[in-house]
Amino acid sequence: MSSALEVRDLKASIGDLEILTGLDLVVPFGEVHAIMGPNGSGKSTLSHVLMGNPVYEASGSATIGGVEIMDMTVDERARAGLFEAFQYPTEVPGVTLDDLTEEMAISTPSDDGFEQRTVAASERLGMERFRERAVNVNLSGGEKKRSEMYLLGVANPKVAILDEIDSGLDIDAVREVADMVESLRGPGLGIVVITHYSRILRYMSADRIHVMVGGRVVRSGGPEIAEELEADGYTAYQVAAAG
Amino acid sequence: MTDTPTLGSTDAVWMASRRSAAVERLDDLSMPSEREEIWRYLDLDFDPAFRTAPLTAGSAGSTDAVLEMWHGNTVSVVDGFVVTEGVPTIAEASDEIALVNDDHMFATAFTAYAPGAALLTGDHLGKPLLVDVQNTSDATTFPGVHIAVPRGTEATVIVRLRSTTDAPATVVPTVTADVSDNARLTLTIIQDWNYNTRSLGRAVIELGRDATLVLAEIGLGAKIGRLHLDVNFVGNGSTAKIYGAYFGEDDQTLDYRYFMNHIGMHTRSDMFLKGAVEDEALSVFTGMIRIEETGQKTEAFQTNRNLILSSGASAQSVPNLEILANDVMCGHGSTVGPLDEDQRYYLMSRGLTPESADRLQVRGFFEEVVQQIPDEAIAAWIRERINGKYVAAQEEGRV
Ligand SMILES: Nc1ncnc2c1ncn2[C@@H]1O[C@H](COP(=O)(O)OP(=O)(O)O)[C@@H](O)[C@H]1O
Ligand SMILES: [Mg+2]
Repeated sequence: MSSALEVRDLKASIGDLEILTGLDLVVPFGEVHAIMGPNGSGKSTLSHVLMGNPVYEASGSATIGGVEIMDMTVDERARAGLFEAFQYPTEVPGVTLDDLTEEMAISTPSDDGFEQRTVAASERLGMERFRERAVNVNLSGGEKKRSEMYLLGVANPKVAILDEIDSGLDIDAVREVADMVESLRGPGLGIVVITHYSRILRYMSADRIHVMVGGRVVRSGGPEIAEELEADGYTAYQVAAAG
Repeated sequence: MTDTPTLGSTDAVWMASRRSAAVERLDDLSMPSEREEIWRYLDLDFDPAFRTAPLTAGSAGSTDAVLEMWHGNTVSVVDGFVVTEGVPTIAEASDEIALVNDDHMFATAFTAYAPGAALLTGDHLGKPLLVDVQNTSDATTFPGVHIAVPRGTEATVIVRLRSTTDAPATVVPTVTADVSDNARLTLTIIQDWNYNTRSLGRAVIELGRDATLVLAEIGLGAKIGRLHLDVNFVGNGSTAKIYGAYFGEDDQTLDYRYFMNHIGMHTRSDMFLKGAVEDEALSVFTGMIRIEETGQKTEAFQTNRNLILSSGASAQSVPNLEILANDVMCGHGSTVGPLDEDQRYYLMSRGLTPESADRLQVRGFFEEVVQQIPDEAIAAWIRERINGKYVAAQEEGRV
């Protein structure tokens, strides 16, 4: 069976700035992987390039459940089963969450589960009072992350990339987000948790951890990597990458 | 229905002399020049054909979507004539009502040829009122509405301007209001003329002590859709929120000239207009906040945001300030630009096609204004109208 996500030799640049420099990553269905790396190592760029953000010039291959997505538009990738939870979710003034989820359902007529998932995710995450409010407008950091997790629940993707879903949150909120990620784990989904700090990994279990430095994965391994990074930081990797 | 009215036959004494002075003055006036700043963006190369002003009302058009959903009172003004029984005109009023005193051709022609603005007072304002202003032919017409809100009362009025045919017409719609001390007026003007109509609109609103105005203008129709608005903050503590939403297509020119004249102390104005233009349309917003020496402690703001949806469309946005007092607070913001790329990317990342993403963004853009409309059914209708224009532009490949 093919993996949820398979990335081969992914490169991306903006003008002369090379940000991703040949990245490989495989995430099987049912697993949760963490990508850890210092600021500026290209983590958000990876999620945007996979999503198809036209700002970046990209090459290489990425497949979702075996289907190549690099030649697809942003919306086609979403409908192919990719979901990006944004580090900085965009405000959409005047458009409510309900307006958005309604349009999501209309965009994917072959999937008749939207209404049911909307109700379920709304209940699970306590979103009732946010659904009539404008998307990401005047929300706290934690509320924005919750809203992203809600949309993930509605979209029901094959691959979810959660970019810094833990940043800017207090410890209780981090624990809550970790629980949400754990509850998403399932045989039809591969999850990538992008994080700068190992903090969130104390409250959830990652099957594999990838260290990203200088636009590529420089080391992959088990949960022990998080402990190492907590003790030693990224310096050794950065020196090696620069060397 | 009353006997068919004829021009000037019921004028009060003050009105008769005002009218004849205007008829005389009109001989000396010609079409304003586009070289004058106030007329700058208008194509005034047309025959205003004032002498075609009808002497009687045409036959009123059939009811339509807006009227059908309306549950309040209705007053009809057809080809400039008030045709609803029991509604007097200002021309018949014993005391002079004359808020418009511009000395140019259109205003003077209004004084000379308008049968008389509908005079809406406490008797008519007990519940929300829709003024259905219809143009039925290619004649030049002068419909008017005057709203007098008594002390300490609240009034809600929607003025709907519409054409019942596609005939090209020139029209000088004039809305005036006198909001007394401690009174509140919620006024919505829906400009929905056909695309062949040249509308030289004028509005003057005077606010008494602690009076409140909430005005929203929705610009949908017209070849030339102009509104020249003055709000006079005469009473201390008077406040106004001025909203606008306009969507221009085809070769429309939508031209807003808004003047906030702060005379009293502790007054507050807040203009907030949002527009979109596509095809070859042009929109103009010229805002002026003028604070007199007497207008201390005034707070005044103006914001105008424009979406340019096609390369042939354009928007002019010019906020101005003229401040003679020294203890005031003012702010302004104005933007002209395309749809937001980040919003499009975010919405597409949720699976929406670029067309749906943009449609949602356009709808959201106008929502801050549309939600101010004091009737939910009419607000929904306006949402649909704007959305319909945008979807048609998408389908025809103009945006
Ligand atoms: N849209 C962009 N425009 C210019 N530079 C960018 C853009 N996106 C990313 N970069 C640059 O690419 C590098 C990686 O950024 P990013 O992917 O945000 O890193 P991370 O998420 O790991 O902190 C940084 O040097 C950043 O400044
Ligand atoms: Mg980042």
